[in-house]
Amino acid sequence: MLAPFPLDEGQLALRRKQLDAAPLPDGVVVDFRPTKAAPANYVSHHDYALADLSLFESGLQAQADGYDAVCIDTVSDSGVNALRSMLDIPVVGPGRSQYVVACMLGRRFGIVTMWKQWFPLYEKILAEIGLADRCAGIRSIDVTPDNRTLMAGKDHALPLLLEAARALVEDDGADVICLGSTTMHEAHAFLQENLDVPVINPGPLSYFVAEALADLALTQSPTAYPPPQVAKPDMIHAMLDAAAAAGAADAGDDEGGGR
Amino acid sequence: MTRILVLVPFALDDEQIANRSAQTREITLGSNVSFHYKPVVAGPTSFTSPHDWLLLDLGLFEAGLSAEADGFDAVVIDTVSDSGADALRSVLDIPVLAPGRASLLFALTLGRRFGVLAQWQPALARYEKVLDEWGLRSRCAGVEHFDTPPDFANLLAGKEDVVVPKMEAACRRLVDRGADVICLGSTTMHEAHGHLSSVLDVPVVNPGPLSYKLIQMMLSLGLSHSRAAYPRPQVPKIDMIHTMLAAAEEVDRV
Repeated sequence: MLAPFPLDEGQLALRRKQLDAAPLPDGVVVDFRPTKAAPANYVSHHDYALADLSLFESGLQAQADGYDAVCIDTVSDSGVNALRSMLDIPVVGPGRSQYVVACMLGRRFGIVTMWKQWFPLYEKILAEIGLADRCAGIRSIDVTPDNRTLMAGKDHALPLLLEAARALVEDDGADVICLGSTTMHEAHAFLQENLDVPVINPGPLSYFVAEALADLALTQSPTAYPPPQVAKPDMIHAMLDAAAAAGAADAGDDEGGGR
Repeated sequence: MTRILVLVPFALDDEQIANRSAQTREITLGSNVSFHYKPVVAGPTSFTSPHDWLLLDLGLFEAGLSAEADGFDAVVIDTVSDSGADALRSVLDIPVLAPGRASLLFALTLGRRFGVLAQWQPALARYEKVLDEWGLRSRCAGVEHFDTPPDFANLLAGKEDVVVPKMEAACRRLVDRGADVICLGSTTMHEAHGHLSSVLDVPVVNPGPLSYKLIQMMLSLGLSHSRAAYPRPQVPKIDMIHTMLAAAEEVDRV
């Protein structure tokens, strides 16, 4: 599971808590690995480009390291397509996984999320997999997310998320609710308890999908994700090592300095 | 013990059921999971016309109606037509896995476009229906058939040498048409899956085993179909449905 930011142990532990959402399939072990560098958050195309590259680098060696599958711990599915072009093992994006599973559970799904700045991330994946017309709506609660501490200190967000999810169901026609970020996993149980429609928890879903793919001996199609003619993994690693070094020298900029 | 009911769309005997249950050998079953196969009591003989589809909807609906009361934790429909799935979802709270839509949707996570391998020309209309219902036409590179009448009881037994090369040729036509992923158009094709996936460079989705994995995933994650999409009937007529199928069985016996 590739976490999309450089995180300390405590922050990684918050992400690892996703594993408590459901009993893991037999014999499955999930490791979490942070990236070496990252954008401060995901609100601009500047950030998307950095997110793609940092997750790409983070997963490049997964197959050589003996992993059977890779999951990305962000609903943006950042880095997924590039990793698929380099790895034979399944690379699972929680975004696309949750939208297709939602279509197995109802006619239309809605996405509830923390803030509007994330909307383009969903729209991009929905367009990519051709399911945009199955999305009944996307609603935000306009609470600034924290990709390090997740929902900690955000108890006030829970009733807002519930209200937004209810509006997706009652006003927009959603039969299924998808969470707009794997970092919202701490809100999943609360939402599911209070809603009559299924609520998908994208992080845990992704490692179940990974296990299913591995067991079925299925992986992404090489015709959809062709390998490069000239692979440059050393260049990619060097770029992220340089970014990490620059980040260490310039700590603080990482928290979204400037704009 | 988690008990999963697999509904078989034809009135098959024990040996024929064994051909179907062989699909579970293609995956790792979770510990404490068991699959039970139940055929319909009556249904259509062929599967190529709206007449057939409607009878199969009713047959599978009836076969699964009591699944929850019988102590099952989930239902899987053993046909890519997803016959009966929507009606069952309206009366059951336990998850009902529909392998047709599941395999096409799942293919979207593996490639840009999928191709569907169909049995023979008369089967093509089924896929047209599914593609329209799910709005997936733009993601479908094509549907190709291998011009062989289906044998729902014996599947490929004794015909492998003739049939499998034709299946492979049809798959290669799909790849030529731009399919990144092949979806087998029937759970009855599962015996050819190993060969096809070994000779083709693109993933081949085997809908039966996939549906067994997905149903275990749904159970683990506590997911089931949405009541908003599959509302309950205001007046359930369960007895009427059972009576109709018992009558149908009598007609078949005569």
